Amino acid sequence: MVSVINTVDTSHEDMIHDAQMDYYGTRLATCSSDRSVKIFDVRNGGQILIADLRGHEGPVWQVAWAHPMYGNILASCSYDRKVIIWREENGTWEKSHEHAGHDSSVNSVCWAPHDYGLILACGSSDGAISLLTYTGEGQWEVKKINNAHTIGCNAVSWAPAVIPGSLIDQPSGQKPNYIKKFASGGCDNLIKLWKEEEDGQWKEEQKLEAHSDWVRDVAWAPSIGLPTSTIASCSQDGRVFIWTCDDASGNTWSPKLLHKFNDVVWHVSWSITANILAVSGGDNKVTLWKESVDGQWVCISDVNKGQGSVSASVTEGQQNEQ
Amino acid sequence: MGFHQFGQACLELLTLDDLPTLLIPGVNSKKHQMCFDWGPGEMLVCETSFNKKEKSEMVPSCPFIYIIRKDVDVYSQVLRKLFNESHGIFVGLQRIEEELTGKSRKSQLVRVSKNYRSVIRACMEEMHQVAIAAKDPASGRQFSSQVSILSAMELIWNLCEILFIEVAPAGPLLLHLLDWVRLHVCEVDSLSADVLGSENPSKHESFWNLPGNTQTLTELELKWQHWHEECERYLQDCTFASNPHLESLCKIMLGDEAALLEQKELLSNWYHFLVTRLLYSNPTVKPIDLQYYAQSSLDLFLGGESSPEPLDNILMAAFEFDIHQVIKECSIALSNWWFVAHLTDLLDHCKLLQSHNLYFGSNMREFLLLEYASGLFAHPSLWQLGVDYFDYCPELGRVSLELHIERIPLNTEQKALKVLRICEQRQMTEQVRSICKILAMKAVRNNRLGSALSWSIRAKDAAFATLVSDRFLRDYCERGCFSDLDLIDNLGPAMMLSDRLTFLGKYREFHRVYGEKRFADAASLLLSLMTSQIAPRSFWMTLLTDALPLLEQKQVIFSAEQTYELMQCLEDLTSGKPVHGGSDTQQCQDDDIETTKVEMLRLALARNLARAIVREGSLEGS
Repeated sequence: MVSVINTVDTSHEDMIHDAQMDYYGTRLATCSSDRSVKIFDVRNGGQILIADLRGHEGPVWQVAWAHPMYGNILASCSYDRKVIIWREENGTWEKSHEHAGHDSSVNSVCWAPHDYGLILACGSSDGAISLLTYTGEGQWEVKKINNAHTIGCNAVSWAPAVIPGSLIDQPSGQKPNYIKKFASGGCDNLIKLWKEEEDGQWKEEQKLEAHSDWVRDVAWAPSIGLPTSTIASCSQDGRVFIWTCDDASGNTWSPKLLHKFNDVVWHVSWSITANILAVSGGDNKVTLWKESVDGQWVCISDVNKGQGSVSASVTEGQQNEQ
Repeated sequence: MGFHQFGQACLELLTLDDLPTLLIPGVNSKKHQMCFDWGPGEMLVCETSFNKKEKSEMVPSCPFIYIIRKDVDVYSQVLRKLFNESHGIFVGLQRIEEELTGKSRKSQLVRVSKNYRSVIRACMEEMHQVAIAAKDPASGRQFSSQVSILSAMELIWNLCEILFIEVAPAGPLLLHLLDWVRLHVCEVDSLSADVLGSENPSKHESFWNLPGNTQTLTELELKWQHWHEECERYLQDCTFASNPHLESLCKIMLGDEAALLEQKELLSNWYHFLVTRLLYSNPTVKPIDLQYYAQSSLDLFLGGESSPEPLDNILMAAFEFDIHQVIKECSIALSNWWFVAHLTDLLDHCKLLQSHNLYFGSNMREFLLLEYASGLFAHPSLWQLGVDYFDYCPELGRVSLELHIERIPLNTEQKALKVLRICEQRQMTEQVRSICKILAMKAVRNNRLGSALSWSIRAKDAAFATLVSDRFLRDYCERGCFSDLDLIDNLGPAMMLSDRLTFLGKYREFHRVYGEKRFADAASLLLSLMTSQIAPRSFWMTLLTDALPLLEQKQVIFSAEQTYELMQCLEDLTSGKPVHGGSDTQQCQDDDIETTKVEMLRLALARNLARAIVREGSLEGS
C-alpha cells in the first residue's frame, strides 16, 4: 500500500536536519549541517535543484514554507543564532531578510496560519521566542518573549485559525479579530500556550506539565471542524502525550499518554488532514498512530530504516523491487 | 457522531498483529535516526541526527530524501478507466437512492452491482491485453498479477452479489452459485463436463428451468429426492459393479465426497468442489446452511496439506454471511481502497450494514469512502472524481474536501477556475478567498496587473486591490496610458472594495468622459477626485496637470467656485513642499520643472477665474 515514489539526492555534504514539502507538494526544501538550504523541484518524480542558498554560518536546523498567497517564501533557522527569510523574486531565490535577535542557536521556526498575515515564530536556546510580522515594503516588526522557557526553547507550533463565531460576513477590507495562539516546548520540561492580547502583547495563557525531561517537539493538530483542540508533545523522557481541550470550556487541557518509548522521542508531526500522527524516535523507526473510538491511540504502521531493498507491506501483487 | 467513531472502524481494519512495515535503504548507523515529515499527499523520510551538535560527525551521512506515497495505484493508466466509470455508477446510485422503493429496489440494486462487475471485467480485459503486449517480462508479470487481482475482486463481488444483494432463496441459490463457479473456473475439465453431461442433467435442466416454472420448491425437492433414491438403489444393487468408472460416476452423482475428491485435479479449487458437492448432495441448500458445507469443503479440499489463502478467508466469510469480516479481510488484502469503498457503499444502500448490527454501520461506509477519495486527490486529474465522493460523506466529507482542495496545484488558469467553481458551488468562501489571493499574488509577480486585480476583487481583498491599483497608477504615470482598460472600465460595484481602487476607476472614468468631449462632466469629476480625499496626495500634481487642457479650452468649463477650489488644492500642495537642498543637478532640474508647472497652473487658473466671473456675472444679469 505504501511505496517510495522518489529518491532525491540532495548532495548535502553533511547531516540533513530537516526536509519540508511546500504547500502543493511540488517543491522540497532541505537544510543541513553543511550550512546550506536547498530547494528542489520534485514534480512528476523528478528532482531539479532550483536553489542552493548560502547565508548561514552554522548548521541549519529547520526550514518552513510560508503560505503561497504571500509568494514563494522560505524561512530557515540555525545554530548561528540567525533566522533568514528567503524569497523568490523574478525566478531567483534571494535572502530577503535576516533576523539576528537571539543570543544562541535558533531551534525552530513556524509560520502562523495565513489568515493572521505573514508571521513567523522562532524558538531559541536562549530561552526566548521571537515573532516576526511582515508589515510591507520589506519591513518586519519584531516582538520578543524573553525567558519563555528557562535554559531553552526547542519547538514552536501555531494553533489553526478559528474564525470567530460572531463574525460571519466581514465587510470588505476589515480584518476579523482572530485570537492568535501558539504552543512552545522547552528545556524546562514544559509546554506553554501563548495568546496575543488586544494590545498586541503576547501572554502566557497555559502551562502544560506532564513531561519529566526536556520537551523536544510540539505539534498542534490541524482543525477538522470539530470543537476540540489537540496538541502532541514528545520529550527526552521517551513519552509522547496527546493533549486535548474541549473548546466549550476553554481552558482545560487533558493529557493522554500515546506511548512510552525506550529512547528519546525527537519529533512529532500531524498529517495534513489531522488523522495520523507520525513519531520519530531515537531508534531507527518512525511510527504512525491513529485514534480509536475508545480514545486509545493505535499504532498503524512503522517506517523502518535498514539495509537492503525497499519492500512495501506485503499485499497481493504490490511488491516493489528496487 | 464524530471523528472518533471512525477510529473504531479503522481500528478494526488497520490493527494488525504484524504491522505493515516499510524499509528504507540507507546507511544503517547506530548513531543516526530517521526524520519524518508530511507533505500534502506524501511523506518525507531521511536520515538525520537529532542530537544537534555544532561539529559535524565523522560518520558519513546519507544525502537522500525518500518521498513515500500510498495509493500509488491511482497512477495506473489501465485502472484509470475503473476509477472513472465506477465513479459514474457511484454517483448514479447516490442519486437514485430516493427513488429506490418496493419490489423494483432489489432488482435495481442488483443491476448496479452487475454494472460494477462489468467495469471490473472490462478493466481486466484491457489489463490482460497490456500484459500480453508488455515489452519486458517483469512488467508483463506485474500486469498479469494485476489481472489476477481484478479477477479475484470480481469473484468476491459476484459472490457478495449472490449472497447479500440478490439474496437468492433456497433452491435458486445453487443455480446462481453454479453460474458463479462456471464463470470463474477457466478450465473446463472433461470429466466434470462428463459428469454434468451424463444421464441426469437433462432432468436437472428441466427441473431448474425457472422462468415460467410453476413448480414449488417442495415439488422440486421431492423430484430430486426421488431421483437420488433411484441412484442409490443402482449403486447398492451393484448395477455398475462391472464398470468402476460408472460406479465412480454414480457415487459422484450421489454427492459422495470421497469420490469427488478422487477427481481433485479436475476441480480447480475448494469452492468449485463445494458447489459440485452441493449440486449432488443438497441442491436445495438453504443459505444459512451454506457455511457448514463451505467450511468442510475447504478443509477436505486442502486436506491439511496447505493453509487457506487470503482469498479463501474472504470467500469463507461471505459464505458465513459475515459482511464485516469480508470488508475487513478485503481491506487488508487489497492494495487500494477502491474495492471496499464501492462494495460497502452498495451494501449500505441495501441496508445491510445496519442489519448486521455494526454500531458504526454507515460510519464504516463513510470511513472507506473518505480514504478512497483522499487517494484520488493525489492524482493531477482524478481529484475531480474525489470531489463527488466527499460530497456524499455527510459527516466529514465537507471538511475533508476543504482541506484537500486547497492543496491542488493551480498550474493553469483553467485548473484554477475549475477548483474555484467547485468551491463556490459549495459555498466554501474561505477556500475561494485563499485561492484567489494566491492567484492574485502570482499574477502580480508575473506583472499581469489586470489578472491580479480581478483576482483581488474576487477574493474581496482590499489590501491587495490597493496594492495593484497603485501599480496601475504608477504605470500610468510612467507610460501615460492604462493597461487593461476593459477591466477598469467595467469594475461596477467592485470599485468600492478599496479607496485606491475607487480612485483608479473614477480616474479612468475621467479620461473616458474627457475623450467623449463631455468637458463639464469631466471637470466636475476631476474636481471631486481631489476634494473627496480619495486621490493619494502623490497624484494631485498629475490631476492638476490633467486640469490644464480643460482650463485652456475656448469655453469656460470650470465655474468660478470650482476654480477657487482648484486653487486651494494647488496651494495646499505647494505649501507642503519642502525646499530642496539643490546640490544635485537632476534635483535642480526637477525642481525647475515643478516650479514651471506650478506657475503655468497658477496662470491658467487665474485666467479661468477671470473668465468664469465675467461669464457668470453676465448670465446672472440676463
